[in-house]
Amino acid sequence: MAQNGKVSEFYRNELIELQNADLYKEERYIHSPQSAKIAVEYPRGATIKEVLNFCANNYLGLSDHPALIEAVKSGLEKYGYGMSSVRFICGTQDLHILLERRMAEFLGTEDTILYSSCFDANAGLFEALLGEEDAIISDELNHASIIDGIRLCKAERHRYKHLDMNDLEHHLQQTGQRRFRMIATDGVFSMDGHLANLPAICDLAARYDALVMVDDSHATGFIGKTGRGTGEYFGVLGKIDILTTTFGKALGGSSGGCISGRKFLVDLLRQRSRPYLFSNTLSPLVVAGTLKAIELLEQSTHLRDKLEENTRYFRANIKRLGFEVEEGVHPIVPIMLHEASVVQSMARELYEEGIYVVGFFYPVVPRGKARIRVQISAAHEKEHLDKALSAFSTVGKRLGVLSAA
Amino acid sequence: MAYSEKAKVFYDNELKSIRGAGLFKEERYIESPQSSTIVVEYPPGAEPKEVINLCANNYLGLSSHPAVLDAARCGLETRGYGMSSVRFICGTQDTHRELEQKLTVFLGTEDTVLFPSCMEANAGLFEVLLDKEDAMIADRLVHASIVDGMRLCKAQLFNYKHSNMAHLEEKLQETQSCRLRLIITDGVFSMDGDLAKLDQICDLADKYDAMVMVDDSHATGFVGKTGRGTHEYCGVMGRIDAITTTLGKALGGAAGGCVSGRKEIVELCRQRARPYLFSNTVPPVVVAASIRVIDLISSSTDRRDTLEKNTLYFREKMTQAGFDIKEGFHPIVPIMLYNAKLAQDFSRDLFAEGIYVVGFFFPVVAQGQARIRTQISANHTKAQLDKAIAAFTKIGAKYSILGKKKEEIVAMYGL
Repeated sequence: MAQNGKVSEFYRNELIELQNADLYKEERYIHSPQSAKIAVEYPRGATIKEVLNFCANNYLGLSDHPALIEAVKSGLEKYGYGMSSVRFICGTQDLHILLERRMAEFLGTEDTILYSSCFDANAGLFEALLGEEDAIISDELNHASIIDGIRLCKAERHRYKHLDMNDLEHHLQQTGQRRFRMIATDGVFSMDGHLANLPAICDLAARYDALVMVDDSHATGFIGKTGRGTGEYFGVLGKIDILTTTFGKALGGSSGGCISGRKFLVDLLRQRSRPYLFSNTLSPLVVAGTLKAIELLEQSTHLRDKLEENTRYFRANIKRLGFEVEEGVHPIVPIMLHEASVVQSMARELYEEGIYVVGFFYPVVPRGKARIRVQISAAHEKEHLDKALSAFSTVGKRLGVLSAA
Repeated sequence: MAYSEKAKVFYDNELKSIRGAGLFKEERYIESPQSSTIVVEYPPGAEPKEVINLCANNYLGLSSHPAVLDAARCGLETRGYGMSSVRFICGTQDTHRELEQKLTVFLGTEDTVLFPSCMEANAGLFEVLLDKEDAMIADRLVHASIVDGMRLCKAQLFNYKHSNMAHLEEKLQETQSCRLRLIITDGVFSMDGDLAKLDQICDLADKYDAMVMVDDSHATGFVGKTGRGTHEYCGVMGRIDAITTTLGKALGGAAGGCVSGRKEIVELCRQRARPYLFSNTVPPVVVAASIRVIDLISSSTDRRDTLEKNTLYFREKMTQAGFDIKEGFHPIVPIMLYNAKLAQDFSRDLFAEGIYVVGFFFPVVAQGQARIRTQISANHTKAQLDKAIAAFTKIGAKYSILGKKKEEIVAMYGL
């Protein structure tokens, strides 16, 4: 062990700096399952309080759905708890193969490979497929896990301006000499709820002979008429070479992710992708839960329809109250307040009113773009939405942030 | 189509060359819970067959233990299935904190932070602690996830020869001018089952003012008298700055990992580690089961004692049978065959005898070091171990390698 004092002091100072810069993240302890209503202990030691949750990725309300809980219990019975092994030694059950096939069917792709998280999927994707002769052209606002995957890959790195198709085309023109090019984008960008312009991206990819990679973590299960994701929404299913997505958000929210797409790419990932080779895959119980989630979504679009309806209702009414809202169709509804201090007050006072939301400010979003990011769920009932709207109205008036409606 | 025929041809060729080199990894489908015996469909489409499993990291036999299943079910009832959120938004339950505290007590550290896997703990740790003014001094054989974590960190990288303390000291002398230095090692190395010399590493760290990081994934729960890990075995509890370990092996084997160690290091991981900030943590049901696991192994050493006894028995009998095995006492028992094809043929024949093991060869181990890596579990009964030993002996006789030394095996089969 090193210089007891010195190292501790060094890292303690780093922590103090984070606190001074208002960047220190505090966790709130939830004493209930994830749901529309949760029991929260905050600050630590405070009496547990029931609040409405408007900041989860529990888009379809499946995180504590009775059908999933039942499926997980039967999964435990039949397939046990853990595999204690990686896939290619003795960590593959027939159940894993079934989920891979079902995901490929659901997403309309050729094949699927499971990962312990979508973070790992993105971290292990690029390096396995691309080398230094190749180029990755990535939207500048892509998720951290895509960025880490690209950092681990030797291909030349290009970033295009967020959603800017001219800039993307410029980079495609610049990289004409490369062996392979891959365009990488989030399907939905998590801070704004914006969708990538996939029709334009796929056209450019076709014109310039590039592969298209989309992370659909904030879309799978509910975007598009039957919830297949941004590819369905834009009518470009089948034109996306590689889709990564998560089971940790709409599809039950437990853990796990996958890469789905061209068979020859998936086959190679199985042989080479480091997080796949060197880490356990999904535990049997998460496989069982995810299979049930997919089954529910294939049986009925009821949940995604309700989410769409809830989103439309909340968006229309929050605007009517005089809030500035980032336009869009996604259940991520950013309420723009611009100043970090206003956002912090707003989140705190909403919590007192029984509404749990989180504020985002620099460096997570650009300076002057501070916001409350509301996330709507199919688990929300109309009364929940109305209660939230009324709390937003009360606090908004108090803080003087409402425009004359 | 948004991709060229060129890409398909290229990637198909890559796959062909992997197959051509004999490196293609095939998966066997298991149709039962993980346990000392499992039902396997192999090759795909074949009649499912019950075999004794000697290749899982299910060291304590907890992967499908009734108490663990029961705890998972209770966890589902009380805390639900998924959190659908990262920790600092709305993805932390009281039970996550409880598990972190239990791991802290069990490992004898100051604090613990959970990660979705130990892979992600290792991937995220170094970048949080070190920058370009600093140095990472790593054993040459550390796990792939540590390698990836180091690749994501800007600190200067130095490697020392495997478990070579003189070489480590040399590297410590070379890096005196760096701001912070971190010695990085696996607690147990997974291919040989050998332990890092943590007592000497800690002494060197003291002498040269460096920090120590240990990945104890193949040790937590069973190495050391009360199963705390390599640091307990080596008598250096409290002297490791950062331990990473997994819930995905001995501790139930589902998923999850952690960084445990100095309070400040753990807290900085919470603030800065990218896989922690940008990915869901361990799901509630795994947390519930893991809490039960820690309670089980804290209250009794029965399971690790049985594992120790099984390991001793298996090592002794296999040595008596005439196998060349890597010395040690870890439940990873490498049966040395040296030749890659022999390792593959041997494991295939054993599968036919009802014993499931896997052969490892280059590039996973060094060229000419091909082996079958057996892994013993507390769940193995004496009858199962005896059956495995008998099958090994039968196949060993078939290939005439019993009682043969390395040179003789190599003379027969080549490297």
